[in-house]
Amino acid sequence: MQKMMGSAMVRRRATVVESERNFAILLVAPALVILLVTTTFPIIYLIWNSFRSINLAMPFMNGFVGIGNYATMMHDPEFWHALELTAIYTVSTVTAQLVLGLALALLVMQIPRGQGVFRIVAILPIVLAPVVVGLFWRTLMLAPNFGLVDFAVKALGFEAVNWLGAPVPAMISVIMIHTWQWTPFVFLVMLASLASLPPDVYEAARIDRANAVQRFIHITLPLIRPAIVIVVIMRSMIALSAFAAIFAATGGGPGTATEILNLYAFRVSFVKLDFGYGSALAVALMVITLAVSSVLFMMRTQRAR
Amino acid sequence: MAMNPHKAANLRRNILLYVLSALILAIWAFPIIWAVVVSLKSEREVLTYPPRIVFDPTLQNYRDAIFGAFSIAQSFFNSFVVAASTTVLTILLSVPAAYAFARLRLPGRKSLGFYTLVTQMIPPVGLVIPYFLILNKVGWLDTYQGLIVVFLTFSLPFAIWLMVSYMEDVPKEMEEAAFLDKANRFQTLWHVILPQVRGGIAVTVIFVFLNAWNEFLFSVQLSGNHVRPVTVAMYNFVSVEQTLWAKLAAAALIAMLPMIIIGIAAQKQIVKGLTVGAVKGGGRR
Amino acid sequence: MNEKDNARTIRGAGIHRRTLLKTTAAGMALLAMPAVFTQRARAAAAAPDLSSVKNAKIDWGQAKGSSITIGVTPAGYFDNLNAVLPEFNKLTGVKARLEMTPPGQIRQKAVLDLSTKTGTWATHAADPMYYPLYVANGWIDPLDTYLQDSKLTDPAWFDFDDILKSWREAASIKGKPYGIPWDGEVTLQVYRADIYDKHGLKAPETLKEYTETAARINDPKDRLWGCAIRGFKGAGQNMYIFPSIFREFGGDWFDKSGKLTVNGPEAVAALEWYVDLLTKYAPNGVQNWNWPDIADAFAQGTIASYIDSNTSVAVVANPDKSKVVGKLAFARWPKGPAGKRCTSIWNWSFPINGALSRKDKVATWLFIQWASSKEVQAATSYGFPGGYKRLGVNRTSILKDDGFRKLVGGIGQNYIESVTASLQDDTDVDWRPRVPQWPAIGETVATAIQAALIGQAKPKSALDQAQSKLAGITKS
Repeated sequence: MQKMMGSAMVRRRATVVESERNFAILLVAPALVILLVTTTFPIIYLIWNSFRSINLAMPFMNGFVGIGNYATMMHDPEFWHALELTAIYTVSTVTAQLVLGLALALLVMQIPRGQGVFRIVAILPIVLAPVVVGLFWRTLMLAPNFGLVDFAVKALGFEAVNWLGAPVPAMISVIMIHTWQWTPFVFLVMLASLASLPPDVYEAARIDRANAVQRFIHITLPLIRPAIVIVVIMRSMIALSAFAAIFAATGGGPGTATEILNLYAFRVSFVKLDFGYGSALAVALMVITLAVSSVLFMMRTQRAR
Repeated sequence: MAMNPHKAANLRRNILLYVLSALILAIWAFPIIWAVVVSLKSEREVLTYPPRIVFDPTLQNYRDAIFGAFSIAQSFFNSFVVAASTTVLTILLSVPAAYAFARLRLPGRKSLGFYTLVTQMIPPVGLVIPYFLILNKVGWLDTYQGLIVVFLTFSLPFAIWLMVSYMEDVPKEMEEAAFLDKANRFQTLWHVILPQVRGGIAVTVIFVFLNAWNEFLFSVQLSGNHVRPVTVAMYNFVSVEQTLWAKLAAAALIAMLPMIIIGIAAQKQIVKGLTVGAVKGGGRR
Repeated sequence: MNEKDNARTIRGAGIHRRTLLKTTAAGMALLAMPAVFTQRARAAAAAPDLSSVKNAKIDWGQAKGSSITIGVTPAGYFDNLNAVLPEFNKLTGVKARLEMTPPGQIRQKAVLDLSTKTGTWATHAADPMYYPLYVANGWIDPLDTYLQDSKLTDPAWFDFDDILKSWREAASIKGKPYGIPWDGEVTLQVYRADIYDKHGLKAPETLKEYTETAARINDPKDRLWGCAIRGFKGAGQNMYIFPSIFREFGGDWFDKSGKLTVNGPEAVAALEWYVDLLTKYAPNGVQNWNWPDIADAFAQGTIASYIDSNTSVAVVANPDKSKVVGKLAFARWPKGPAGKRCTSIWNWSFPINGALSRKDKVATWLFIQWASSKEVQAATSYGFPGGYKRLGVNRTSILKDDGFRKLVGGIGQNYIESVTASLQDDTDVDWRPRVPQWPAIGETVATAIQAALIGQAKPKSALDQAQSKLAGITKS
């Protein structure tokens, strides 16, 4: 009796597994087909192009060049410059967002009332189109002699800064713009994380006479570490693919002072009309993004253990 | 009546906190408030320096942006059609897929999951040319369906990823209870799982809509007179001769109005969406 | 506007027709301005009469039923074209529509369309510097066959030679026309007559004097800068101005062996002049300014002079935007050390997309011919019933026309004289290197110029660097 039931269950289980599998495939199929058509084909096309010379300005040179474009890249100072800027941009925006967002969340946690106002105001920059953000900052805020930031700086008695006209301030400006738009994101995540922490651990710590800094380092930080890691991953990926706001604010300039890899690939493809090399740059950016996120994900799982 | 010193210190601390907070709030809100101010000025007034706070406000810029020769009204409608359709399709496709990823024995789940992740990382710059060629081949350049399909490429992986996190939060026991009742799998998904992830769907809807509405790069290259979205149309006020800043500000604010309304109204859902995976340590990869 | 300043300008100017402006109230002065520059958003009230185009001895109805899209960019002049376009559709039975694309994207979109042979845009407002690229790839049709075909063109009526010579040449390759110029501009000096008068200055005749004049006036403490010239990076931005300076310093783009050279002594001297001028006498940030920024600043009264396109009067002489209306004066480019003046050549011209069907090509040609005809040029300019009237007309005959002269009369001192002289005597087809690689070349040199302007590199080393990059771009 016992045994019979067992084998029936095994049999039933097998069909269950099979039908579950079929059902799963049925559910995933439409989405995958769409993704296959809309992304796989373009990726393959992109990679194929990256092995070819497609320069509209010199059509007579077009053809298969193997790794030629990638070899060019290795010796292209503009590529390395763009890569360096991408690294600076990503690291500094993510760090700034994290530090400011966390600090702000800690601050707002102390406020007895009015947190809701913060949440609402924090949403505003997040929902704006980056291209609008870039345009507004460029003229209404940062333009020398007209912009409000310029006015404020001078009104406070500082020397006027040529925000978008000089290389270093321009880089600082685009970092600032991105940080302005996305710190609220980090802030909201951190606020939610802090709010979800159990209050009793703090009570215990307070009894142990731990001071605020100790409590933060030894209790809060380890507890919100998963949130921090996830935020770093998400923000890094967004920073690596930033485009519209910089494009609208500086166009990569002055010179190439704010031309991160994404903008360089765009310029090579659409201004220099070198689609082959532009494709190679886009592939490089994709590989870098993948590599960075893989490393971050690995760090995440390792820490979790 | 003397205040006790502890209370006084507390009050001082609170005042300091509020002042500091108000300052930070101002920094966040200011560019937007300033855009509103600019949109109410005349073109002549916009660049006056030092900037004037007191001026004769006018609604002419809004009138021009809505009813003028460069009305963005049609584009507003276009954006709505594209963003709404993208959202509906994305939900229809991503919810079942996310369920399968999160809960079912799916052959090759790991690699498929990795694949959807990779698709999120292709730089859009590299996709413009392939999309242009493909859409042209099928005759979908400058059509609603063309933009919608292109928008699916970035909304779908994102939505699947988001929905998986929500699916994973549904207690396993609920499904199993449903199975014992011999309800078939589809009914399980429909009657048991979906009600549990309603919040997650709302969050996904908001984010997909938001991203589709704000898109610029593909919209510029792949749309034309027929379906130009509002993020591109507002550039009508940036002509080769001059930038009409006040009208641009008005148009940009109108363009962003739905987003601002959604942002404020659905504030709770957005925060949830942002924090999904982060707070609970969540989504699997 | 300040009454006293206004009165002084008029006295100083002493030009007869400006008595029109001799009103004490600022508001009256605005009313007296010709309605050239009222907001472009206010469209035409009624369509102008264009029935005389029927005089052309061709069959306007020969491409009936075609549907064509014309790529343009937001601009007042294209709005006017759009306003009269229904007349064309009625005349020909063709369905022609304008499609607006942001100025930053129109070139990319055109190239994408042409290179993929999609034929989305039957024609588009083309940058003259892109013709070598278009022609090298065989993307557009030569127009001589269209011009010579008596079925398609009435040469007496169309009068192709009446179209400004330098513009025609800019849209031709090896003597063959590939595009028909529709609207254009020249760069010239725009300055504040009131300020120059106050200092007892005249419009400078040489680049050296230009710097000296700017130095005399420059007073940043009082928010008045001596001058401004675009510094923004781009083939159509700082590389729209620098080539003029370069040519005025005696530079040649190609050396004797035909090699593109941008780091010769003339180029270095030209760039040094540019850097020195902007660093010392222009507002901070001008290195990243483009033409609208300059016009906006000038309209606010913070700049005494600039060298840029005459179309910027749409801002600086527009009472809706400008605080310096009635104080403007114009002059040709100052001469360089090589003793010549060199203005820009710029126009939007219409080519025919080679990927079209024959019938659509005919329809497109009819559109181009119609749009660049005397009738339509006048009807979108002084003959336009709406508030905005375009100034960049393409024909010598219209520049001399009384109706046109009356229209531009109130803009400022010496306007039409400077524009006409610049167009006729100061243009130079080799102003910029006309090769297919221009977009990349222009971008590379533009980057070097901006690097020098912001002090990232010395002019010589910036140009040397550009030269070494050009080696990769122009290999053949």
